[in-house]
Amino acid sequence: MRSKRFEVLENRPINQDGFVKEWPEVGLISMENPGDPKPGIKIENGVVTELDGKKRADFDMIDTFIADYAINLDNAEEAMRLDSLEMARRIVDINVARKDVLKMTLSMTPAKLTDVVSQMSVLEIMMGMTKMRSRLRPSNQAHATNLRDNPVLLAADSAEAASRGFDEIETTVGVARYAPFNAISILVGSQVGRRGALTQCAVEEATELLMGMRGLTSYAETVSVYGTEPVFIDGDDTPWSKAFLASGYASRGLKMRFTSGTGSEVQMGYAEGKSMLYLEARCLFITKGAGVQGTQNGSISCIGVPAGVPSGIRAVAAENLISMLLDLESTTGSDQSFTHSDLRRVARTLMQFVPGTDFICSGYSSVPNYDNMFAGSNWDSDDFDDWLVLQRDLKLEGGLRPVTEEEIVAVRNKAARAIQAVFKELGLTEITDEEVEAATYAHGSKDMPLRNVIEDLKSVEDFMKRGVTGADIVKALSATGFTDVAESIFTLLKSRMAGDYLHTAAIFDKDFHVVSAVNTPNNYTGPKTGYQMSDERWNQIKDIPRAVRPEDF
Amino acid sequence: MDQEQLMKKIVEEVVKEMMAGGSAPDTGRPQADGPEGKVTASNYPLAEKLSDRIFSQTGKRFDELELKALLDGQISAEDMRISPETLEMQAQVAESVDRAALAENMRRAAELINVPDARVLEIYNALRPYRSTKQELLDISNELESKYRCTICSKFVREAAEVYEQRGRLKAG
Amino acid sequence: MAIDAKELRNIIESVLNENHLLDPEPPVTDHESPVMELRETGVADQGKSPDEVVIGIAPAFGSAQTKTIIGIPHSDVLKEMIAGIEEEGLKCRIVKNYRTSDVGFIAHDAAKLSGSGVGVGIQSKGTTVIHQKDLEPLTNLELFPQAPLIDIETYRAIGRNAAKYAKGEATEPVAVRNDQMARPKYQAIAALLHIKETQHIDAPKKMQALTVSFR
Repeated sequence: MRSKRFEVLENRPINQDGFVKEWPEVGLISMENPGDPKPGIKIENGVVTELDGKKRADFDMIDTFIADYAINLDNAEEAMRLDSLEMARRIVDINVARKDVLKMTLSMTPAKLTDVVSQMSVLEIMMGMTKMRSRLRPSNQAHATNLRDNPVLLAADSAEAASRGFDEIETTVGVARYAPFNAISILVGSQVGRRGALTQCAVEEATELLMGMRGLTSYAETVSVYGTEPVFIDGDDTPWSKAFLASGYASRGLKMRFTSGTGSEVQMGYAEGKSMLYLEARCLFITKGAGVQGTQNGSISCIGVPAGVPSGIRAVAAENLISMLLDLESTTGSDQSFTHSDLRRVARTLMQFVPGTDFICSGYSSVPNYDNMFAGSNWDSDDFDDWLVLQRDLKLEGGLRPVTEEEIVAVRNKAARAIQAVFKELGLTEITDEEVEAATYAHGSKDMPLRNVIEDLKSVEDFMKRGVTGADIVKALSATGFTDVAESIFTLLKSRMAGDYLHTAAIFDKDFHVVSAVNTPNNYTGPKTGYQMSDERWNQIKDIPRAVRPEDF
Repeated sequence: MDQEQLMKKIVEEVVKEMMAGGSAPDTGRPQADGPEGKVTASNYPLAEKLSDRIFSQTGKRFDELELKALLDGQISAEDMRISPETLEMQAQVAESVDRAALAENMRRAAELINVPDARVLEIYNALRPYRSTKQELLDISNELESKYRCTICSKFVREAAEVYEQRGRLKAG
Repeated sequence: MAIDAKELRNIIESVLNENHLLDPEPPVTDHESPVMELRETGVADQGKSPDEVVIGIAPAFGSAQTKTIIGIPHSDVLKEMIAGIEEEGLKCRIVKNYRTSDVGFIAHDAAKLSGSGVGVGIQSKGTTVIHQKDLEPLTNLELFPQAPLIDIETYRAIGRNAAKYAKGEATEPVAVRNDQMARPKYQAIAALLHIKETQHIDAPKKMQALTVSFR
């Protein structure tokens, strides 16, 4: 006979998730693997001759890169002598300023920083994030994708996302060759939604750079780094190629960040018997050493792996904190589906949402998850109102604002018409009035008429061969009466020339004022310091349309 | 300071001097706030505080660039590209807030401005694993140095060639 | 790297079995899977014939592993893909890649060997890529990243499309599928299967030509 209670439990969503027991020898363990190296550094004549227990002669590529580029050696011996527990305490101590923490942590090794954060509970990690995040105001990033790479829908969805408050919008493809269309669709759509929102298109590295150079995107993120050499090679790169790529972006005035996350090495088959967190620490040191301003980390597409083992979600919070201890812009995941349980997906996000990070989600799906081509996000468009209520319940900055149906319908329609005009003006495939109408009111791609994919792909090829640039899109918008959108994209292109948004955690406000860790650094030193929500912003968050007025009763 | 670091320092100084004496028109620039006329975080954002010191690679002034000029065909995308001088100023801003590695990346980037898009992409691909022989990488390093005066990048590629050789990541043959 | 894959597999399987994660989707009922025999015949040649597609299989495919992550037998995968290619009037060669378990590189290696310049790469867990020799390894003509969503019909459609690309025809990509719950359910087991596959890498060994027969 079966227990009815157990039968009910068995059918709960949580029991659809995959869980595995730890297996340290292959690196299937989130943190504190006995196989992790002991922290240590030896410096002779200004050169690191030993790093975390390995002699220079035995260094792999990653060790060499970290030793030569990623550690501030001036303080290193003092920092490495400091007890890890003492360092962990300084991180949560409001009397120790952010810059004094950095003075130590920037001189530590990957094994040492891993050891430091391993001393901390989840709550302490969150306290660390509040203080160590680089930008004063937390922000949020959206995904805008769909199953059919439909450009009209992408324009409408990115307009809605920007209008709702997302400062960055990321797209990717179902079919790789569609990439340039996706890029221009969200570029145009985003500027309809909110002037100054930044956009990127996540595809293969060289293609992504090419689109950036042409002015079809305004930043880049999918520049992946890995914690073991064989996985780096399978990722078709080295620390040197990636660092060169980073310079390539900056040479065109384009913002970019690297991406990494716990679990990728074990997922790709070469974790070398180390914990996921230690390997991720190595990724973050590579990012630092390459001189890249920030990182997207927090397991990202591998979240099912740490989430399957004990303390995995704690490790994900810990890896976010390490990025902040390295003074990097933190773009903290919560961007990929990892559980069938609504309870679990909220709990996982609180670790970043409560303390606030530079971008809480590095891809809140602004489309329904069936259209999310990152294989689903932890949050999607059906959760917009839940997110707004969480901001209101906790008086927290989560980046979104309450909106009305009328205004969203209006921006979606304008964006769809704008991309229709651009396609026509540039001689690309036709976007019909019927598609504009459908995209204006759609929930997702199931509500869209099908497009002729073969014609679209031919048109994309022609578009790239002709060398169409962001400037051509500006001209097309202007010629078709979308002068305000043309002006926005022109200003985005022009802002590359000044390079202000190359700095850590930079975003633009609606007037194209840059807001970064340089002019608005996090200055948290305890209660009533750091980011304080303005009355204006609080009134906006409070005012969700569904709240009734007492005087109406 | 070891010899390599010293070398790097000297190279950086030389490059900075070359850039400062570069081709941007002299417009009676205002003094920056930092020591030795260095730009710092207090000058940031440069687009707002030092806009008259920002010129494109083609010599166009930042605060004179307008949409109308683009539409009238008076300027092109080329006239909106960042210049080495501007990136050097941004590198100084990064240094003023203790971000040395970011500054270093900006200086590598400043060198790459004059390398054409297609060549930057090719060099990136050549640096990927198993794409190049050691000699091919050394040739790129020499090309960067002699053709584009990319001193830091040239050294960086040469260093990659050594590491790839040690780790067996070069193209066979 | 010395890993006791068997022990690892046992442990993970026992955990996952409790959640019925390893239960293969009931394969199509009116379908009988053929018995497949793969034989290595030596180092694979560079193809010259423009009317061929090369299928590259991962190191454990059809040997150490015999079915995809949702339990489709490898014999069905190959049979369908070959049928798809032949339907378009092209020939197919099969090679085994021992140097990498990464599906992008397996597909790209196959494309480079192919007389038409088009190749397909398949991992044992089922992840598949259609590639073209002039593209960068980590981009593609078509990518099917979510192995749990690839069914028998899709493998045939992949074969058909690969052949169409080889003929230089404008080709509508196979409809993309997406399931946001594939990761929560399958990612841990996917990691396990990939670790296992990676253990069969024999880096110095050149790509091997295979003959395949079905009974």
